[in-house]
Amino acid sequence: MSLLHATWLPAIRTPSSSGRPALLVWADTWRVAEPAGPGATPAIHPFSLSPDDLRAWLSERDLLPDGIIDATACLTLPSRTVKPRRKRGEAAASDDGGWTGLPLQAGEPIPKQTEWWPWQVQGLAIEPGAATAWLARLPLSGRHPDLADELRWWSHMQRWALSLIARGRWIPQVELSRGEGYPHRARWVPLLNREDDRRRLEDLAARLPLVATCALPWREPTGRRSNRTTRLRPEAMRAANPVASCRPRSGRLRVATLLEDLVDAQLRTGFTPDTEGLDPLLSAWQEALGSDTGVIHLDDEEAERLATASHHWREGVAGNVAAARACLELETPEDGEDLWTLRFALQAEADPTLKLPAGVAWAAGPQGLQLGEIAVEHPGELLLEGMGRALTVFAPIERGLDSATPEAMQLTPAEAFVLVRTAARQLRDVGVGVELPPSLSGGLASRLGLAIKAELPERSRGFTLGETLDWQWELMIGGVTLTLRELERLAGKRSPLVRHKGAWIELRPNDLKNAERFCAANPELSLDDALRLTATEGDTLMRLPVHRLEAGPRLQAVLEQYHQQKAPDPLPAPEGFCGQLRPYQERGLGWLAFLHRFDQGACLADDMGLGKTIQLLAFLQHLKAEQELKRPVLLVAPTSVLTNWKREAAAFTPELMVKEHYGPRRPSTPAALKKSLKDIDMVLTSYGLLQRDSELLESIDWQGVVIDEAQAIKNPSAKQSMAARDLGRPGRSSRFRIALTGTPVENRVSELWALMDFLNPRVLGEEDFFRQRYRMPIERYGDMSSLRDLKSRVGPFILRRLKTDKAIISDLPEKVELSEWVGLSKEQKSLYAKTVEDTLDAIARAPRGKRHGQVLGLLTKLKQVCNHPALALKEKQPDDDFLKRSAKLQRLEEILEEVIEAGDRALLFTQFAEWGHLLQGYLQRRWRSDVPFLSGSTSKSERQAMVDRFQEDPRGPQLFLLSLKAGGVGLNLTRASHVFHIDRWWNPAVENQATDRAYRIGQTNRVMVHKFITSGSVEEKIDRMIREKSRLAEDIIGSGEDWLGGLDMGQLKELVSLEDS
Amino acid sequence: MTITPSNHGINTSLGDEGLGQQPWWVEQWMELINSYRYKKRLERAWTYAREGNVTSIRFEGRRVHARVQGTGEDPYKVKLWLDVLNDEDWRYVLEALTQKARWSAQLLAGIMPADIERAFAASGRRLFPFKLQEVRSECSCPDKANPCKHISAVYFLMGERFSEDPFVLFQLRGRTRTKLLEDLAEYRRKALETLAAEAAKHADTPSDPSESTVSADNEQPTPPHPAVLDPTLWWRYDASLDADLVVITPAMEGDTGLDAAGELPLAEEPRFPNSKQQFLNHLRSQGQALGQQALIAAMTAGGG
Repeated sequence: MSLLHATWLPAIRTPSSSGRPALLVWADTWRVAEPAGPGATPAIHPFSLSPDDLRAWLSERDLLPDGIIDATACLTLPSRTVKPRRKRGEAAASDDGGWTGLPLQAGEPIPKQTEWWPWQVQGLAIEPGAATAWLARLPLSGRHPDLADELRWWSHMQRWALSLIARGRWIPQVELSRGEGYPHRARWVPLLNREDDRRRLEDLAARLPLVATCALPWREPTGRRSNRTTRLRPEAMRAANPVASCRPRSGRLRVATLLEDLVDAQLRTGFTPDTEGLDPLLSAWQEALGSDTGVIHLDDEEAERLATASHHWREGVAGNVAAARACLELETPEDGEDLWTLRFALQAEADPTLKLPAGVAWAAGPQGLQLGEIAVEHPGELLLEGMGRALTVFAPIERGLDSATPEAMQLTPAEAFVLVRTAARQLRDVGVGVELPPSLSGGLASRLGLAIKAELPERSRGFTLGETLDWQWELMIGGVTLTLRELERLAGKRSPLVRHKGAWIELRPNDLKNAERFCAANPELSLDDALRLTATEGDTLMRLPVHRLEAGPRLQAVLEQYHQQKAPDPLPAPEGFCGQLRPYQERGLGWLAFLHRFDQGACLADDMGLGKTIQLLAFLQHLKAEQELKRPVLLVAPTSVLTNWKREAAAFTPELMVKEHYGPRRPSTPAALKKSLKDIDMVLTSYGLLQRDSELLESIDWQGVVIDEAQAIKNPSAKQSMAARDLGRPGRSSRFRIALTGTPVENRVSELWALMDFLNPRVLGEEDFFRQRYRMPIERYGDMSSLRDLKSRVGPFILRRLKTDKAIISDLPEKVELSEWVGLSKEQKSLYAKTVEDTLDAIARAPRGKRHGQVLGLLTKLKQVCNHPALALKEKQPDDDFLKRSAKLQRLEEILEEVIEAGDRALLFTQFAEWGHLLQGYLQRRWRSDVPFLSGSTSKSERQAMVDRFQEDPRGPQLFLLSLKAGGVGLNLTRASHVFHIDRWWNPAVENQATDRAYRIGQTNRVMVHKFITSGSVEEKIDRMIREKSRLAEDIIGSGEDWLGGLDMGQLKELVSLEDS
Repeated sequence: MTITPSNHGINTSLGDEGLGQQPWWVEQWMELINSYRYKKRLERAWTYAREGNVTSIRFEGRRVHARVQGTGEDPYKVKLWLDVLNDEDWRYVLEALTQKARWSAQLLAGIMPADIERAFAASGRRLFPFKLQEVRSECSCPDKANPCKHISAVYFLMGERFSEDPFVLFQLRGRTRTKLLEDLAEYRRKALETLAAEAAKHADTPSDPSESTVSADNEQPTPPHPAVLDPTLWWRYDASLDADLVVITPAMEGDTGLDAAGELPLAEEPRFPNSKQQFLNHLRSQGQALGQQALIAAMTAGGG
């Protein structure tokens, strides 16, 4: 798989070049490569895609930009040292041929020693205007398997550029030529004086993925466009960079320049000059602002004049990009004093907490100074320049600059108020930092609000949401509490900044009114309120923000449990549960019971293999043991897992009466259904029937509804989703709702609404509101604040644990074996029955000597049917109905979906080469990616290449098909953390050996082993034999298949005939 | 901004749109020209200036070089210069300039302080020429009178040229921007030392800020870029979109960069009296349209 990258090629300003920057789009893909080293020119990047392949790749994804030319650029990339393989017969003397190695690829494990070397990378260069349009099309959030991380950085840069243009934060400039014969240029320059833009520059610079700017200035100066190729000129390259490792430097200026290029390109493209009536100077400037190259046609003298004037014009708004800025720190007056102190300081842009008093800046010599690790040049001038701009928005500063080296000044209370209220913001906008005392620094904390103490009433157990809490409250502002009377007294002073309990606070006009209203209302506080107020910050009670909520120990316990701030209290396996619960499963059970007490729907979203089924069964058994299970519970699951449910219930909770509502003989009237449910605890049905029999199912008074593989209802308008929701709605009596899923639901914003609408409809509001408030901002723009809010809202109702969690991993064995029980499709069933019928007759008539072979053939054929009818019928290609025809394939696909989603890797073993080929074709199409298949006919070199790629390619295939015989031994495939045995082999030792391809030294994860068993079929019987270690099984394991011949017809029939399960 | 001669000599007046106020030094400069006795010659010079006969004005070192198209075929060469302050004078000026940090602050922010002359008073000199006689000039025309109309024409245009860069006058008086700023920094350090010495005398405790807080010792080697230590930074970017960029908003009324920057500090070419205003108006209207386009582009961004 290839990964798309984008790197900026800065403008090369030479007398003859167009002097335009460009975006280089390139891709790398893993392949076996010989190490290379630079000679007179940098080595060719061995993994980069050729321009033609890249074009095809981009078109396929609808990402082909406009305005591209083939290009080769030199990029500095981290590289690993690899010695060249010495060819036989070559002398060892060639050892000192210089460095050789390979460039690292994103995601590849980092070697101990990394070097930086330039590599020639082929790609496509996009001219700036088209580049910005292309960048605007890239996704702003989320991980995309084909797009490298830095593309997201680029899309954020471009969005910033758009924002600057929308807000008009730019100014035209004239830049002088860099020397004799170079042209002067007109540029559009973004203004980064505003506080948020400056912070953004620091953020994006600090997080700059260096690959975005790692190009060395080696493009051919002429940028010849006629032959549509830009090439390196070796001489130019040597001059620019002696081939050696090149190390990165600070990114602020680099990022500012990039941003400038992006803004310039867009304004230039959109700008239409109108020179009518302009003097020659301005006319030339305007023309150049609208031209592609920006070259301004003026003589040196005129250009210099324009350059000076335009710089001077800009300086009034924004200084140059610098490492530090002037900063004003306001200090509250000493006790008994009136005057406030304003200190002057120098503050690092990158880290506002790094400050130095002005005195240090004045004292700094020509070498500048260090602010922490940050070097600051000309600190005195930086400080002065900032002060000069500060003067224009906050006149009182003038007084403070009356001495040679001022370090602080005094402000009157009125001036201090102006600073706090309005000037602070304006000062920040002209690029001057302002630090206010914490109680005045704006934000919610400095507003009038409440401090609350609350506890559950003595008799309450904290189980009902509406119940009233015992509580006290106080008014609070700027971190100090005050009574209503005190507030009245302070308000009476008619001064906006007042002092209370040693802190200075700012009173606002409506504060007193709001407080009075609150006191008059004297409201009650419910448990529901407490849960809400502790969920998100800044929630209000009657318009007053709650600054502090102190919960008593008993309430605290409920809150913590609810918000999952601590692991749920475990609940031991209930009586009647046959099996062991692991510690985390006991906690899961405790959590389900906790939410059940609150009558809240719960979504158990544990990672695959952690035993959601067992936890749910334990929960139902818990209800039963507590005599709380009075009516049947409906469980809806995909058809492919119904069998599994039935099996697991029978094994773990034999006391639960389970019934399937499935198949042609199911009850069809409410009366018949009701009758059939007598003494039944749990009813299993499929999503298909949920929809078809919705009226029928709704006629029953269920005690609860459970949906398994809850992603099935992700689409809110799909019929099965609506049917599930309708069933979940509590009717006459309360009805619990539980959803099970192995997918990371909390990250799938679009699917959350339907899920929550089933579980707890009030939590996320109407669908339209949800879409506007959460889905759009999060999905399109990756808005973190909306996502945080959403997560805190749904958090209490979703429990998701991962195999990799520390708390879980210690509970899990290193190898987890999972039996995946599956049924048979209609076609499989009839084919199976027919095969048995036809063959048994033949075997009965066959002479004893031939019987053995025939029995073997029969078993093989039946196992094939269990896999897929197409395999048994020797079809060569997957057809359109391929998925539908096999229940096993359906289940396999469901599990693989989770594996792929989680970014895990899996080995899939089968004993049938034909099945491997069919499955390979199907899986490749299904996930549009490569799925290698290693079988007996794979050549030795191919085999090695497959293994290397699976183990080493950072973006290698996630699925690897192997035939049990060819791939079961010798290979090291520890990158896989899942092993699938699609069909069963007689001998568990063979299966274990195959499993050990992944489960061996070098494996860092828990390994999940999935064994598929078709229930009722010969596979189940094999499984039973293996597990029961019956004499029969030992025969099989010990002595091959001789015993088969010895079976009498009765035994054989029992072995192969389809049990109705 | 236009400059027109009137019956009472030459006045400077606000531009047609009444936008902006004249910087004080332009006013002062025009007053200076007004003090000239030969009104007829001034009027002719004004016509020259207005009709664009002054083809270039260039600040070169301590001199102003201009070309004025007269009656002859080739333009006349005009040279203007002010008396340069000697080092002694500059010492006084620098010492005085250092006394108020505001002066440096304003100059660095592109503002000519209104009371700048007070800093020069200490040396008995001035920044701005006080009398026309202080402005030395030379013209290659045959006219014996000085200032001739060519020189006078240049005078008219100079005032505004000063506002293109407040440091120009310092340059004409003998100090370039770079040199001036270096000197000022040096004087500030000296002032600081004096302060510290005095404080030490009073408090009897040795304290020298230049030694205690800043010394050459803090020249630590630049730490290596984090990517050197963690090569995955070469590719990694896991930040989400800045919350402020989720919804892109247009500029508020009067809140664009152009609004903040105000008048373009470029002397107007008299032949195109509305040129600057037109230039800015066009930028503004185009900027608005481009801003609209950006808003639309932002709304459709990020796919689906």
